[in-house]
Amino acid sequence: MFKTLFISELKSSLKRPMVYIFTFVLTAIIFGITATDVSIGGGVGNVYKNSPYTITSLTLAMVLFGILGATAFFNKAALKDYDNMFNEIIFSTQVSKRGYFFGRFFAALILSSIPFLGVFIGISLGSIYGPLFGWTSEDQYGDFHFMAYVNSFLLFVLPNMFIVGSIIFALAMKWKKTSISFIGVLAIIVIYFVTQTLTSDLDNETIAALLDTFGNKAYDNYTKYFTAVERNTINPSLVGIILYNRLIWVSVGIIILLSSYFSFSFKQVSKKTKSKKEELITNKEFLLPSVNSSFNFNGTFLQFKSFFKINFNNIFKSTTFRVLVVFSFVLLISTLVGGFEYYGLKSYPVTYKMMNAITGSVIIFIIIILVFYSGELVWRDRDNKINEVIDSTAHNSLISLLAKTISLIALASIVYIFATVIGIVYQLGFAYFRIELGVYLFNFMLDTLPRFIIMSSFMIFIQVISSNKYLGYFISIILIFGTNIIKAILHINTRMLSLGSIPSISYSDLNSFGPGVYGAVWFNIYWMLFALLTLILAGAMWNRGVATPLFAKIKNAWKSSTKQYKTVFYTVLVLWMITGSFVYYNTQVLNPYDNSDTVENGQVEYEQKYKKHEKAVLPKIIDIKYFIDIFPEERNVSVKAKLTLKNESNTKIDSLFFNTSDKWVAKFDIPDSKVVLDDEDLGFKIFKFNNALKPGDTLSIKLNTEYKTKGFPNGTGSTNVIKNGTFIRNSQILPSFGYNSSVELSDRHKRKEHGLPTKERMPKLDSTNTKALMANYLTNGVSDYINAETVISTSSDQIAIAPGSLIKQWKEGDRNYYKYKVDHKSQNFYSFISGRYEIATRKWNDVDIEVYYDKKHSANIEMMMDAVGRSLEYYTKNFGTYYHKQCRIIEFPKYSTFAQAFPGTMPYSESFGFIIDLEDEKENNIIDAVIAHEMSHQWWAHQVIGANMQGSTMMSESFAEYSSLMTLKSTTENPMKMREFLKYNHDQYLRGRGSETKKELPLYKVENQQYIHYKKGSVVLYALQDYIGEDKVNLAMKEFLDEYKYKLPPYPTSLDFLKHLEPKVPDSLKYLINDWFKEITLYDNRLVEAKYTKLENGKYKVTIDVESFKVKADSLGNQTDVATNDWIDIGAFADKDEDKLIYQKRVKIDKPKMTFSFDLDTIPAKVAIDPRHLLIDRVYKDNIKVVEEK
Amino acid sequence: MNKLTIENLTKTYPNGVKALDNVSLEIENGMFGLLGPNGAGKSSLMRTLATLQEADSGTVMLNDINVFEQPTELRKNLGYLPQEFGVYPQITAYELLDHLAILKGISNSKERKELVSYLLNKVNLYEKRNKSVKEFSGGMKQRIGIAQALIGNPNLIIVDEPTAGLDPSERNRFYNLLADVSEDVIVVLSTHIVDDVRELCTKMAIMDLGKIVFHGAPQEAIDSLDGKVYQKLVRRDELEEYANSFSIISNKMVGGQPLIHVLSETDLGGDFELVKPNLEDVFFSNINTENTLV
Repeated sequence: MFKTLFISELKSSLKRPMVYIFTFVLTAIIFGITATDVSIGGGVGNVYKNSPYTITSLTLAMVLFGILGATAFFNKAALKDYDNMFNEIIFSTQVSKRGYFFGRFFAALILSSIPFLGVFIGISLGSIYGPLFGWTSEDQYGDFHFMAYVNSFLLFVLPNMFIVGSIIFALAMKWKKTSISFIGVLAIIVIYFVTQTLTSDLDNETIAALLDTFGNKAYDNYTKYFTAVERNTINPSLVGIILYNRLIWVSVGIIILLSSYFSFSFKQVSKKTKSKKEELITNKEFLLPSVNSSFNFNGTFLQFKSFFKINFNNIFKSTTFRVLVVFSFVLLISTLVGGFEYYGLKSYPVTYKMMNAITGSVIIFIIIILVFYSGELVWRDRDNKINEVIDSTAHNSLISLLAKTISLIALASIVYIFATVIGIVYQLGFAYFRIELGVYLFNFMLDTLPRFIIMSSFMIFIQVISSNKYLGYFISIILIFGTNIIKAILHINTRMLSLGSIPSISYSDLNSFGPGVYGAVWFNIYWMLFALLTLILAGAMWNRGVATPLFAKIKNAWKSSTKQYKTVFYTVLVLWMITGSFVYYNTQVLNPYDNSDTVENGQVEYEQKYKKHEKAVLPKIIDIKYFIDIFPEERNVSVKAKLTLKNESNTKIDSLFFNTSDKWVAKFDIPDSKVVLDDEDLGFKIFKFNNALKPGDTLSIKLNTEYKTKGFPNGTGSTNVIKNGTFIRNSQILPSFGYNSSVELSDRHKRKEHGLPTKERMPKLDSTNTKALMANYLTNGVSDYINAETVISTSSDQIAIAPGSLIKQWKEGDRNYYKYKVDHKSQNFYSFISGRYEIATRKWNDVDIEVYYDKKHSANIEMMMDAVGRSLEYYTKNFGTYYHKQCRIIEFPKYSTFAQAFPGTMPYSESFGFIIDLEDEKENNIIDAVIAHEMSHQWWAHQVIGANMQGSTMMSESFAEYSSLMTLKSTTENPMKMREFLKYNHDQYLRGRGSETKKELPLYKVENQQYIHYKKGSVVLYALQDYIGEDKVNLAMKEFLDEYKYKLPPYPTSLDFLKHLEPKVPDSLKYLINDWFKEITLYDNRLVEAKYTKLENGKYKVTIDVESFKVKADSLGNQTDVATNDWIDIGAFADKDEDKLIYQKRVKIDKPKMTFSFDLDTIPAKVAIDPRHLLIDRVYKDNIKVVEEK
Repeated sequence: MNKLTIENLTKTYPNGVKALDNVSLEIENGMFGLLGPNGAGKSSLMRTLATLQEADSGTVMLNDINVFEQPTELRKNLGYLPQEFGVYPQITAYELLDHLAILKGISNSKERKELVSYLLNKVNLYEKRNKSVKEFSGGMKQRIGIAQALIGNPNLIIVDEPTAGLDPSERNRFYNLLADVSEDVIVVLSTHIVDDVRELCTKMAIMDLGKIVFHGAPQEAIDSLDGKVYQKLVRRDELEEYANSFSIISNKMVGGQPLIHVLSETDLGGDFELVKPNLEDVFFSNINTENTLV
């Protein structure tokens, strides 16, 4: 019986197009991803686009899409007999309950899973046709991994469809309503997203991996430290966290399915029969009033109101709407409560955070509501068979459609406003009282409401022109989610073609809604006129009476529209076109931009044409004077720079090369020279001297640039030159010198496609490459340590800051002028800032500590100054003198999130510390860490800097991370706290290896790779000071610094540092330098067993069995075990939380399996190998074990 | 006196069915019955009159309003009860009628309130005015439909199969209501129930296969068959035989035996009994021109 029903169900569905459409769409998407340069699914860099990892990731990514299909198939399987009223017939036949129930269920399961064959087909075809048509290069694909498809299908597709299916099937069987099934699906998706938000902190990772319904997080967790090679070769399998996740969720599915089965019955639940009440005949007498029908403006308005009320109530009272709203609030609240920011710290609930949370969790539901109810409202009259009555009344169709649109807008707004209220309540609950209602309101009016208006109108239009509701839904969804994909494929950038798109108006406490506002207003007008236009069209095409096809609708619209109506249409059309022209003029003519193709081709051309000048000898800048005028209100900047150049080479220099920009328009005043090449397209300019510059000659040149804000661009506009918090760098405001190799295309596959030779990321580490040693990686040979002076002016309400001591300050007209001079020759690496600031100051010895901050952000200022003081204390003591007279921290708006060290100054992002809540935090103080890091750059980068070759960033970034850790350590009493902080660095290093696109290098050859120089560097140096002593490491660093401090080239390399380090390392530990600096070494330590016995003297003897392997990896992640002969700690904790380390001993491990024992006064809770997590270990959890009695 | 003039109305559906085939009618105040079997094109005609469907050719004029060119004007004068009348969920009877009254241009809220109450009372639903219409029985919904068709002083009331689903007493109330208003306005009533027309209408038309096959007063039609209709009880197995020899208009079962009505210019004699023709005979004689057994 099961078989018959199963097969007949399959057969009948396979005759319908649905399953083929789903399969086709999925195949097309996957094919597109595989055969082109779209980097979705992890097939980037060294990871093949058809690797097991990519296959599995894409399969998982498609699960959400697959749910759509599952909903349709399972819901239909459960309901089709009821919908066709066939149930009574089929249930009165011989069909068994079991056969019926499971036959239908498993048929639907197969049908829902079939579309996932598209992953297989798409990737297989994509990896053949991509390289064949030259869209991608062949080396992006590896071997064919059949088992990866099979395994991901068995591990993820079938179980996920089973789980989703059992829920939908059970709901459908129970409630017999499609809308309930739909809600069930949404519930699944909401739960899925809620579990995704859990994972932002490391501690929750395992829980999140288990809770994730679809196993996505489990797979992520399982593969998080996979290297490229592992991603390319290891098939997904049922092990570890994946096994547990699948067990949990498949069991859940089985339980749901079985309980549904046992409560399912063929017998009809007798419908509630309503007791027929006696009809009361009223004796009331009513007289037929004499009424007047009037169709004037007042009447029309009444009609609108009445339509509105009916439409609004219809949605407002519907269960689906309410459930959707509840879901969105659940998601919002979980976002608010669970949103971790950084290293486990939370930020204050400032307004923009709230608005982001609200938009992030509520908008998607509002879009669902708008899509769903636009269809409901448009088709409601027909669905309820009242359309003929309504249609034959004398109302204007536009009024009815307008009422529908506005009810949608009103409902969306109510949901949004209510969500905002939740946000505000959360703020208050957090005891945060800076509630900025005006900001919420402005954001709503300029960003949210227009979006609702545009979407509602347009979707009503779509439904009006569609021949049925579902087609309308389909088109709406395609337009909402597909437009950007289509635009990306066609390389179209203009917002004028993506419905409702406006420039970002992200709120900042410093700069309010920022540079995008002006453009946003105009784009909104443009889109709202468009929306109105579609509504007017819809009004004319609205089908009254018998349904007609689209063509007839258009014909009819033309015929039946009154002259007046047409006039309105044309007026709006003209207004829209005028606005469109204005927007076009601003975004394309005034502010032209290049699309990604043009940019890429430009890069290629630049390299092909001008690479020949790369080796040209350039004079060095030896002195520079800036005159900068910032006009915050107009968002303009004018720069004049006087540069003194010197030929420090031993050859004549006959030309100067500049890279120009069309944003910062430059004027050159170079004496005794003429322009011999001026390529405006590629931005390259060559001056030739009439008399070549001889060795030792100096020359004064003037470079003037102007930055002017004109109208509004297609994008957001410059986030550097803004009304409050302008932050510009010297590299940006002046044309750069010489051929700029950083312009070159770096992606290796793209280079191949364009026929360019392979490009090394950096010159090789080579202490004999004397030419490369002459340039450092920061200024790239254009200058060394130089003097600089700045005269900077800004508007009267702002303060302007440049590096160095403030020499003079004056007013001229209504502008503020400042003159700064750098106290000590420094790298030509400056920032210029202007804003309305509060200033906090403090003295540390002779140094002025100054914090420039927005008056709303006073919370952490004292803490920041403490951190600066602490850093100065530790660094001057351990590394040497601080050469500036001031230490400035300057807040800039949140458009970027970083802090950066310039000579004596540290611009620091609004979102990166000023708003982090540190009131209760005693540990993981991110501000301390960041400030200590940036402060140490005053030594590591500004006093000594590596040559422009491999390994150089180790001496700035790794040293800065190490220095920061040392200041942290100096204030931390419990060493276990350091483990807490370092675990993030371990994690990010190991993850970083997996997403390496070229090759992983050992620390001493790092090629500016952040996961290596920050993360691995900090871990390695921290462990090193633990092994050989803090003072030894510091001494090595100090000696290195003393040798190269502010010294002219040649610049040092990492080998020069190692020369200082090696003598400090005792012979027994010499292997560390090789393992940690010169090779890629990982450890695989494990505590196998831990027992204790009570001794006669009252002490406890603890015996542990440990396993330890040392793993060496190559640049692609091929790993080999090598013999261990290392010193590793063993230890014991008093408590389960691993907070009290009561025993620790460094032991020599020279065999893979060893046993150790030690005596303790008390019973330890846990024992561990490497208890303080000094070594890099992909699975650290198994290093620790609870002790048991023998 | 209102006048509805239909001239040469023709409509062919994309599937080739001719719903209206050169229909011409002239209708004045009073009840006009449109009789025809299912699928005769009645609803197509009604929808065309109610501006809900375009015809391929022909014109319809209500007084001086051209229905196809000035649909809005016609709608201002129209009361329409379609064959299928549904209601919104989550809305009470009062709210629904109030909404429709607004759409029909009753802007004065006091007048509207009186009118809606009056109509609800007329259709015997005043006590249930605050109940959700969704919960109403088919008959009650139909009464709401009737009430809405009367809103706003229409000159033309079109009711399509209005008595389907009504019990006899409800039907009576409904007819009284229609009769009340039909003195000054045109009421077009489409139905396949012969009795409805007989009881109510002064003028009628019979439609079949998109054509008007009869147009006139019911009594005239009956008179024209006077002395030509015979009836006889026959055995079931004889039916075929009779059908071949006589022009049978209709047959129906009486006490388990077919009773046939036969149209004949000459006296048939024998067991045939001359009967007084009724409207049903008129109906069947007009549509059953093939003399098939129905």
